[in-house]
Amino acid sequence: MTYAYLFKYIIIGDTGVGKSCLLLQFTDKRFQPVHDLTIGVEFGARMVNIDGKQIKLQIWDTAGQESFRSITRSYYRGAAGALLVYDITRRETFNHLTSWLEDARQHSSSNMVIMLIGNKSDLESRRDVKREEGEAFAREHGLIFMETSAKTACNVEEAFINTAKEIYRKIQQGLFDVHNEANGIKIGPQQCISTSVGPSASQRNSRDVGSNSGCC
Amino acid sequence: MAAYLQWRRFVFFDKELVKEPQGNDGAAPGAAPASGTAASKFLCLPPGITVCDSGRGSLVFGDMEGQIWFLPRSLQLTGFQAYKLRVTHLYQLKQHNILASVGEDEEGINPLVCPQVKIWNLEKRDGGNPLCTRIFPAIPGTEPTVVSCLTVHENLNFMAIGFTDGSVTLNKGDITRDRHSKTQILHKGNYPVTGLAFRQAGKTTHLFVVTTENVQSYIVSGKDYPRVELDTHGCGLRCSALSDPSQDLQFIVAGDECVYLYQPDERGPCFAFEGHKLIAHWFRGYLVIVCRDRKVSPKSEFTSRDSQSSDKQILNIYDLCNKFIAYSAVFEDVVDVLAEWGSLYVLTRDGRVHALQEKDTQTKLEMLFKKNLFEMAINLAKSQHLDSDGLAQIFMQYGDHLYSKGNHDGAVQQYIRTIGKLEPSYVIRKFLDAQRIHNLTAYLQTLHRQSLANADHTTLLLNCYTKLKDSSKLEEFIKTKSESEVHFDVETAIKVLRQAGYYSHALYLAENHAHHEWYLKIQLEDIKNYQEALQYIGKLPFEQAESNMKRYGKILMHHIPEQTTQLLKGLCTDYRPSLEGRGDREAPGCRANSEEFIPIFANNPRELKAFLEHMSEVQPDSPQGIYDTLLELRLQNWAHEKDPQVKEKLHAEAISLLKSGRFCNVFDKALVLCQMHDFQDGVLYLYEQGKLFQQIMHYHMQHEQYRQVIAVCERHGEQEPSLWEQALSYFARKEEDCKEYVAAVLKHIENKNLMPPLLVVQTLAHNSTATLSVIRDYLVQKLQKQSQQIAQDELRVRRYREETTRIRQEIQELKASPKIFQKTKCSICNSALELPSVHFLCGHSFHQHCFESYSESDADCPTCLPENRKVMDMIRAQEQKRDLHDQFQHQLKCSNDSFSVIADYFGRGVFNKLTLLTDPPTARLTTSLEAGLQRDLLMHSRRGT
Repeated sequence: MTYAYLFKYIIIGDTGVGKSCLLLQFTDKRFQPVHDLTIGVEFGARMVNIDGKQIKLQIWDTAGQESFRSITRSYYRGAAGALLVYDITRRETFNHLTSWLEDARQHSSSNMVIMLIGNKSDLESRRDVKREEGEAFAREHGLIFMETSAKTACNVEEAFINTAKEIYRKIQQGLFDVHNEANGIKIGPQQCISTSVGPSASQRNSRDVGSNSGCC
Repeated sequence: MAAYLQWRRFVFFDKELVKEPQGNDGAAPGAAPASGTAASKFLCLPPGITVCDSGRGSLVFGDMEGQIWFLPRSLQLTGFQAYKLRVTHLYQLKQHNILASVGEDEEGINPLVCPQVKIWNLEKRDGGNPLCTRIFPAIPGTEPTVVSCLTVHENLNFMAIGFTDGSVTLNKGDITRDRHSKTQILHKGNYPVTGLAFRQAGKTTHLFVVTTENVQSYIVSGKDYPRVELDTHGCGLRCSALSDPSQDLQFIVAGDECVYLYQPDERGPCFAFEGHKLIAHWFRGYLVIVCRDRKVSPKSEFTSRDSQSSDKQILNIYDLCNKFIAYSAVFEDVVDVLAEWGSLYVLTRDGRVHALQEKDTQTKLEMLFKKNLFEMAINLAKSQHLDSDGLAQIFMQYGDHLYSKGNHDGAVQQYIRTIGKLEPSYVIRKFLDAQRIHNLTAYLQTLHRQSLANADHTTLLLNCYTKLKDSSKLEEFIKTKSESEVHFDVETAIKVLRQAGYYSHALYLAENHAHHEWYLKIQLEDIKNYQEALQYIGKLPFEQAESNMKRYGKILMHHIPEQTTQLLKGLCTDYRPSLEGRGDREAPGCRANSEEFIPIFANNPRELKAFLEHMSEVQPDSPQGIYDTLLELRLQNWAHEKDPQVKEKLHAEAISLLKSGRFCNVFDKALVLCQMHDFQDGVLYLYEQGKLFQQIMHYHMQHEQYRQVIAVCERHGEQEPSLWEQALSYFARKEEDCKEYVAAVLKHIENKNLMPPLLVVQTLAHNSTATLSVIRDYLVQKLQKQSQQIAQDELRVRRYREETTRIRQEIQELKASPKIFQKTKCSICNSALELPSVHFLCGHSFHQHCFESYSESDADCPTCLPENRKVMDMIRAQEQKRDLHDQFQHQLKCSNDSFSVIADYFGRGVFNKLTLLTDPPTARLTTSLEAGLQRDLLMHSRRGT
């Protein structure tokens, strides 16, 4: 399937906040109540449509456990968006946000769009972190905020798509260099480059050679 | 916590030592000989094995002596001397019977032996040994180095050799021949190359190169071999492998920290399997990793045996898709792991070969079921491409398991996945309980969504909804489905909804699926929303509108008479469904037979009248029933109206309707109607139309309207004279005084001579009151007239008598006395008579020549002949006519005065012949006959007068 852009996402957050479930819900539209611990890094992909453009989201789901931090860190590089997830029923996951954010900022490109997600919003009765707190944290650090439930699929779609929209907006503004793959954005195989981001002809040529040389 | 502990462990492989085949010949070939023979020894490979590979049905080994050994399925080990010194690397192609090897032939001058690459064609034999098709030195340059790894592309066009100095040579072109191949250095690095793998994706060929410190990929199918640096981790020798398509042909690099998977252009997922890796191998969707057993798990069963675990190695078989460890065991000093004959073979330093046979899917699933790991079983089954029946079976077991544990929500989720395979009643029965109705609903919903529900399911689901009072769900179920195609039997759904009292939903369904009957039934019988129902009917196409109107018209009429009438008017004149946007359609509307709707108005005469009037106005050719009914209505109204003014109006209306000429064909009906309602004018009008003058008169007589009687007589007396007669007898019978009228009637009778006076007298004699004075004038006049007549007749008789006497005398004279001809002139030419002449007794004389030229016969006088002939003819005609009895009868019937007809015939001698019969008996007969005839005649004449 052709796509205009490919955005690389990374999902980070404490262990057990529901990162893998968010991914599963988004890519497979299902919820698995019992999920094995993520070992290392997993991966999922889905097409979305933003402003009439087909955009492929490639999502890297990292292991939340402290012991895997060293491995997951290497995946920050080359991500255009990050979903920073905490569990609204466990305050400590909210408290760890700062360190996750620090990690992300340190290892990623400065333009990375980070979305803060308070997951498990279906467990309202066991809520430990107020919505307002999440909003305040997001405001403070310049993040987009949303509460989701991977179980009921509430806001899951929106979380991923809103992030994609924000990235797309940044591309339109020219904040991302779409030709540097380190930014986590790839232009689709047969895609003409949009007008707003004007790459030089030479750049394009070199890219084309790179991607198509296999066919000759 | 060790990472691998996070994944569940299973024993999906059976471990077994490969035994020596029974006897060296004659034994049945088999990888694992029958276990019954306890004496059979374990297979032992020759010592000094350095390398091994597998493919094309054999395990291939190379040893320190330069020998290459083949171990086929029959376990008959064969070998040949390939190198003089030793074999260091082997690569058996999987799709060709080609083996590539690297080894050393001779001790060169160099302290380092120059390795030689040999390509063997195993199909061709060269003196018992495989044919060596090509030999060339492995090292391209002069710099001494050591070959570390070797790989060959299956298309035989690429071969790559890695060296410890970090360089990689690529041999391009047909590798089996010297001529077409070209060797070049692809890569020059600082770290020893530890792994190489070709990856073919479409037309692109990638070469993965892994060193101890990094991973990179080359595109070797294009020009310039573009390179992508993938990572800055590396791995040891033999710790890399290429996965199969189930893992997207990723390149697996097993580092000490974790196992990374790579795409040609980027890093893929990673798995944190700790431990110092020794061997990584890909086997049928499994990742096989052998690592040094540094941290011996206390759980491991092998630990207790040997505490010095320096040589102990752990072999783990990972299922990366389903995230479990399929097998885990400890081995001593693993040389290599080989996959062939559908099994995994582990070669240990002691020359033993351990076979790891994968269990079949069913066994594996059963193991999972025992541990209640259904989710995993499902995933496993899917990745093993189990058919849907098998999967359904698992889902069902899972569902049963959850159900028995009381997790009904979960259970139903599983049961839902069995839809299409498992009999729904199995599940439904489980949940058919008030507490589980939610689950049942979920199941049924899915059943419907997949269009597998039958009518009973629909009923059940709808019942569930209604029991749950979940009207929003119900609505959703009904409304969302109806857009595309329906997943349920609409009729059943409507029935159920209706029973449950969800009328609006039922209505919605009925409307959307054009079940008009249901719609109306519900609308009228349950909701009693007549307005809506009527509007709905108005939207239907003609046929349906008509039939529905017939069915429900009465109810509608009862409740909303005006609108119903309006609709009916439309329906019967120029019906068009009242749909928006279709008004401009030019197609002529249909029209229903308005007569059929009349019964609807049974209780609404007012509307009926309006309807009928409309119909008769708009549509002149309406069926007769319309007019009949309208007339009846008008008459009814008229009859019941008290207000004289209104009555007058109604009267006029009824009359005008009668006069519209609609009742020619159903005269009787109209008449009956008028009579029933005592509608005089109508009755009279109809009588008149029907020329029933007698009836008119009777009518007047009954109502004792004498003047009218007379008037009728005067008006219609011309056409029917008997009116007068009747009038007379009527008046005669009247007891009261009505001389005046009698006189008038008599006068008329007299004028027209309608009755014989005797009859008049007779008639009047019935009246006890009528005096002679009434009839005196009439009688006097009549007598006078008759006596005049008598006098006239007598005169005539006398005249005829005289004439007869005269003629008799004349005849006598002619007979007896001579006749003197003294005529002097010819009667023809009127000139003087000359001889010869002819004389006749009649007194005419002629010249002979005149006579001859004139006369037709000699006997007749030409002058008298026409006269005579006339008389003769008359006589003859009378005689002829006399015998035409039919004509006589006819004349008698038609004639006014039958008596004169009979007299006429009598005169012609009708009875002449009868009188001739003189025989007494016959005479009596004739007389009686005559008497009968006379009576008959008399009757005729009486009737005639």
